[in-house]
Amino acid sequence: MADVQTPPAPGDGSDGSETPTRDALEPGEAFAPGTGLAARIERSNAWRSLFRHPNIDTPRGRALQSFSNFFLHLYPVKIPARVLRMRYSFRLGFIVTVLFFILVLTGVYLMFFYTPAVGSAYGDMQHLRTGVGFGQLVRNVHRWSAHLMVLAVFLHMMRTFFAGAYKKPREFNWVIGVVLLLLTLLLSFTGYLLPWDQLSYWAVTVGTNLVQYVPFLGHSLTKLLIGGDTLGQATLLRFYALHVAVLPLLVVLTICIHIWRVRKDGFAVPRLSVGETTSAGTFEEEATAVPSRVPSNAPKDLYGARTRVLGVVDRESITAEERAVDDTVFTWPHLLVRHAVVALGVCATVLVLGVAFVAPLRGLANPNLTPEPAKAPWYFAGLQELLSHFDPLVAGLLVPAGAVLVLVLLPYIDRNPSTLARNRKVAIVVFSSLMLIAVVLTVIGTFFRGPGWRFVVPWTHWYVEL
Amino acid sequence: MTTTRRRFLRSGWKLGGTILTAAAGWTTYESLRPLVGSATGATVELGTPSNYAPGTATYVSAARLFVANTGSFLYAMSQKCPHLGCRVPFCESSGQFECPCHGSKYNIGGEWIEGPAPRGLDRFALTLDSKTGTLSADTSTVIVGPPRGAKQFVTPAKGPSCIPKA
Ligand code: HEM
Ligand code: FES
Repeated sequence: MADVQTPPAPGDGSDGSETPTRDALEPGEAFAPGTGLAARIERSNAWRSLFRHPNIDTPRGRALQSFSNFFLHLYPVKIPARVLRMRYSFRLGFIVTVLFFILVLTGVYLMFFYTPAVGSAYGDMQHLRTGVGFGQLVRNVHRWSAHLMVLAVFLHMMRTFFAGAYKKPREFNWVIGVVLLLLTLLLSFTGYLLPWDQLSYWAVTVGTNLVQYVPFLGHSLTKLLIGGDTLGQATLLRFYALHVAVLPLLVVLTICIHIWRVRKDGFAVPRLSVGETTSAGTFEEEATAVPSRVPSNAPKDLYGARTRVLGVVDRESITAEERAVDDTVFTWPHLLVRHAVVALGVCATVLVLGVAFVAPLRGLANPNLTPEPAKAPWYFAGLQELLSHFDPLVAGLLVPAGAVLVLVLLPYIDRNPSTLARNRKVAIVVFSSLMLIAVVLTVIGTFFRGPGWRFVVPWTHWYVEL
Repeated sequence: MTTTRRRFLRSGWKLGGTILTAAAGWTTYESLRPLVGSATGATVELGTPSNYAPGTATYVSAARLFVANTGSFLYAMSQKCPHLGCRVPFCESSGQFECPCHGSKYNIGGEWIEGPAPRGLDRFALTLDSKTGTLSADTSTVIVGPPRGAKQFVTPAKGPSCIPKA
């Protein structure tokens, strides 16, 4: 990299003033001109060891800044303009990540006040309610974020399916996504037990006993999972270790791989099936149009000038699409600002939920008193509903294992390269029906079941517990 | 095909890796495997048979089991529902075991009557000491409950069920 000779970047001219040409690699004055304190600090060696490139509002300046900043580098420098639209992805993957961060923060706070012991766990939860500053609120936020995270992961998967974003070359990232879905369920399930109240005790009893229907190994597996014949100290400690260490670490690792792949494969934008002409596509017209949400005062050369940045990386691996350079916009600020707004929105939502709704805490867990009804957590209620209709081998093993298998194999079964809905009717009908069945079962199990698993209607008898 | 050093080392790694994985799996299993006594496992003295009148099921909290007298047989019955593990109480009014979770019902002998459970209630070995005349149950061995088809003790419900009508 000895010879970085670039022609001076044009001043962006949008504010009328002449931006000095400042090559970031140039020392001293050019880095931050002026004699003010701020400029002096920005010129200092210490500052520049942290921020390698100054904040220059030109395409080149922004690109350099993105490349040399760890956090910005998680994003591509430029993205297809349509990614900015809310309805492109509903930002669901990002929302999941934000929820996970909130869960880590609130979870660590809770860890300071919680001992995973049968004799004290429940008392700790009560103490959290009354004796710890913001304890109740943090617990509420942790709980509602956990439920929302399960929901958001599911919706994220639905969006990925309907957008056809699991297709070549993104097959394996879909598989990683399925792993993340399972890890999220486990994380939520292991956390559910920790309050050690009647609700958690019996929901987890019922949930862990689903495992016993695995042929041959079922009973040993259940015992291994709960560390005994019934839920006890061993179970609580196991679940705690899984919940606060093993699973979060696995999730972090998997999220990293997941996002890294997104970064390498580029954001999926609609693609035509082989042999189809572009006139049939939807993105051609939009490609050249400036998205409506982009501020009108954005520098003109964002869209006009052909800005190709650092050609070191194989184009294919950045975006697999063959597309005009012109329809891309800078991630910073356009996408980042939107992400910041979404992140604030998520925080506000869980905060409002936490203030408005108190996380349930029933009586101390009592192994000798089963409450009526005893339901697994809502995301397993569909499975429980299934088990009340079919042979346990079918409902407890074949269906769930089959469902996971179908999800994992989906991108390898569905080899149709088109992402347009009208070219993939079969896939959409089949997948939607399966998801609909799962949702209906979950809704029935959650809302329409009462004592003895009898059918009840939620507007007269409410047996829902979160 | 001659064995080169490289090939030999490569198979060595594979073999060694496999053995190590197996050993790691085994030790993990051994350390996580629940030990006897975690919940059940003890032999529990249950007194004389005369404590348990015909047609009743008595709960013994020390062992978390029921002693049921069907009239002809005595059984030490697990309180754990074979469906999904809820505690199954004995309903005095109907004379049946009724699981509040998903409505499985069992007769006094623990045989399945209705509901989603795959079989009858599990049992523990019950022995009568001929010298002392007392019963004891060995809770370390679970005798898997009778299959759904078992109809040795069929009797209609004595009265109303304990599970509230929604
Ligand atoms: C590093 C991350 C996390 C840590 C350190 C953590 C820690 C904790 C602790 C100490 C508790 C017990 C206190 C309580 O019950 O409120 C708890 C509960 C719980 N956690 Fe987490 N957690 C983390 C992430 C998550 C995630 C990602 C989820 C779900 C997607 C989750 C779901 C739950 C649930 C459902 C409870 C029960 C909540 C309640 O009863 O209030 N946790 N967590
Ligand atoms: S646990 Fe008893 S019927 Fe389901």
